[in-house]
Amino acid sequence: MSQHVSSGSIKEPILKDPAAEADIPSGYGKTESYLLPKDPAWLFLFWEITQNTLDCIKQQYSENTLKQAHTVIRLHDITDVAFFDGTNSICYYDMPVIFEARSWYINAPQTGRTYIADLGYVTADGQFILVSRSNPTTLPPGHISNIIDDKWMIVEGDFQKLLKLAGADYIGLGSSERMHVIGERWKLTELTPSGAPSSWSSFSLHLDKVEEEDIWLKADCEIIIYGSASKNAIVTINGKEIELKEGKFSIRQPLPAGSVIDLPIHARNAKGDKTRHIQIKALREQGK
Amino acid sequence: MGNEKGYLALVLHAHLPFIKHPEYPDFLEEDWFYEAMVETYIPLLNVFENLTEEGTDFRLTMSLTPPLCNMMEDPLLIERFRHYLNQRVELSQKELNRTQGTEFEGVARMYFNKFRRYQELFEHRYHGHVLEGFKKFQDMGKLEIITCCATHGYLPLMVHKESVNAQIKIAATDYRSRFGRNPRGIWLAECAYNPGDDKFLRDEGIRFFFTESHGILHGTPRPKYGIYAPVYCPQTGVAAFARDMESAQQVWSAESGYPGDPRYREFYRDLGYDLDYDYIKPYLHSDGVRRNIGMKYHKITGKVALNQKQAYDPYAAREVAAQHAGNFMFNRQKQIEYLSTIIDRKPLVVSMYDAELYGHWWYEGIDFLEYLFKKIYYDQDEIKLVTPSEYLEMYPQNQVVQPSMSSWGDKGYHDVWLNSGNDWIYRHLIKSAERMMELANKFPNASGLLRRALNQLARELVLMQSSDWAFLMTTGTAKEYSTKRTKDHIKRFNELYEQVQGNRINEAYVYELELKDSIFQQMDYNVYSSAAKETVLKKY
Repeated sequence: MSQHVSSGSIKEPILKDPAAEADIPSGYGKTESYLLPKDPAWLFLFWEITQNTLDCIKQQYSENTLKQAHTVIRLHDITDVAFFDGTNSICYYDMPVIFEARSWYINAPQTGRTYIADLGYVTADGQFILVSRSNPTTLPPGHISNIIDDKWMIVEGDFQKLLKLAGADYIGLGSSERMHVIGERWKLTELTPSGAPSSWSSFSLHLDKVEEEDIWLKADCEIIIYGSASKNAIVTINGKEIELKEGKFSIRQPLPAGSVIDLPIHARNAKGDKTRHIQIKALREQGK
Repeated sequence: MGNEKGYLALVLHAHLPFIKHPEYPDFLEEDWFYEAMVETYIPLLNVFENLTEEGTDFRLTMSLTPPLCNMMEDPLLIERFRHYLNQRVELSQKELNRTQGTEFEGVARMYFNKFRRYQELFEHRYHGHVLEGFKKFQDMGKLEIITCCATHGYLPLMVHKESVNAQIKIAATDYRSRFGRNPRGIWLAECAYNPGDDKFLRDEGIRFFFTESHGILHGTPRPKYGIYAPVYCPQTGVAAFARDMESAQQVWSAESGYPGDPRYREFYRDLGYDLDYDYIKPYLHSDGVRRNIGMKYHKITGKVALNQKQAYDPYAAREVAAQHAGNFMFNRQKQIEYLSTIIDRKPLVVSMYDAELYGHWWYEGIDFLEYLFKKIYYDQDEIKLVTPSEYLEMYPQNQVVQPSMSSWGDKGYHDVWLNSGNDWIYRHLIKSAERMMELANKFPNASGLLRRALNQLARELVLMQSSDWAFLMTTGTAKEYSTKRTKDHIKRFNELYEQVQGNRINEAYVYELELKDSIFQQMDYNVYSSAAKETVLKKY
């Protein structure tokens, strides 16, 4: 079994759960976790861990063992595993997490695979103590299949033409961007509103394009600001108070091209007579 | 099959979330329904009536979602809509005098004539029940009405397959009671497909659904015809039809799409703001705040400020709609002509749109459709309009491909319905579903008040599952309302759950909820029992 460090786990901003403010419950008093698909590369895990569950674990393991252990999400790849028993996954990935976070966005190492997320402790000697196991979730492949159907063969060049026509190069771009790209192409072919037939059709253009070795690239950027403060400190980021989970915090912030983020982070004690201040600036240059 | 080179399937998705507030005499968000009725649904019926009277054959596929059907048949909403329509007729009649001899005379006359005609159809032809109209055209074979998930629930984010099953089963039952036959097709809410969910469609006799283009393009194995022919799902044989982006673009695009033509009606300049306050006040909501009332006298004009917009000319705008219809048809002809050089069967182009785009957002979209139907019928024989059912009859042999998980939302998957702004809801949606199943299994033969409570719990559950709430939280429009609706249904569900578990059901409370959340009068909570469906969720 291979073991990697996760390629990344990003915590969404710790927003105040609206449930906490209203009279809907913040939890349901049962230890459990659920794993949802978001897109080919991302999963969303949320959980509830009761004090009772934690107390049971404390009874089974020495204080020292738990003190030295760290808490993780262990993401198991169980694709094609008929019955997962906790140890027979194809591989797994550990990512550190604090249980109090209650939810986490997980960047899956591979698209198109089936995953299960275990929440638990990893002890100093490498033992895994399971706290909660999620449901399995299969992610979409996110690309054209390599499998070709013998009975429904098509000439490769023709298939590529069909893909072009369907706008396949732009899947995964925001649908508005994708529309825009197709729209640009369509605009070239737009007729005068009088309806007079044009001497050239849109499709000769497509043909020319099909021959080109066209490549594309997309990339975007978000930043994570994280840190810790004294347990009782009141921390604000950009004037907004954020919730500390065991003295830790983390927020995720989109960073569009050409934007500057300038975030003042303040901490103060309850009395308000002691303060600390850190400023974080990030600039993303306008690129093409 | 005739001499045509290929086929075009036009699909309109008509949907609104279930919004009804009997506890208020006047409620803002109910306007969505009244506006859509007078701007989209009845105008579409009017087009069908006109085409039929003059002998123009047409084919259209339309989803009428269960919440929409429930609203169209709700006595309170029918009564309130009647009042809304009467007010429009009254105001437009007053406007004939006020605008006489001004540049707005023509557009004022247009509103008066249209409102009068819609009133005539609504009251006298359909007797207040517009579903009668839709059913009539379905029975004539011109319109194929398909269903949708019970409350537009977002299936790929439902962990319990019982929830998926219930969304489909409740919808199919509702459809049968209204249209007197099985739904042959379904519009999966947001075109969100999760592999395996087709099993629940098959169990209800549903033969086809729609996906975004990559639902099929990313399918396994490679789809031989791309998106220009349907595929069958493995094991179930349910057909999936994918959306053509090129024709979508022509209508949708903000920059290059038809609706942006300067001669079309300007959406944001409305009489609710323009007219003398005392004159317009009776047509505003009871709080007297100026808002859109749905009568607009200006055209887009160009990129100018709202107060620079010029008078709308209904005849010129209709002319443009006719030209755009001609352009749309020409582009489909060329598209199909080219496609038929690549693939060895007659290609099918599936053009899918939100119905409310036509009429509500793109005012002349209704005229566009009428012209498009006429031009396709009279002016050419290269392309033919079909419904998915007709296509499957002509081509019963299709490739077996497992479609990919996908949706038609931004970025193609679930981002719109699952992000940091709305992800808190799933904890409650999933828990409520689990509790519903628990109760359905515990009380398989409930009767009396217990039965009413269990049925109401099922209504609260499906209402909180409407994908509209998560969507509105993301787009930011009506965020407050959608958050409140989600929380209200969670609270009501939990309260009632505790009452049932504690054997202390409060009849007054059940009655109140039955009145407010009155969707699916025929609800049977047993749809959530395990006996109704094997559990697909595997907990190891």
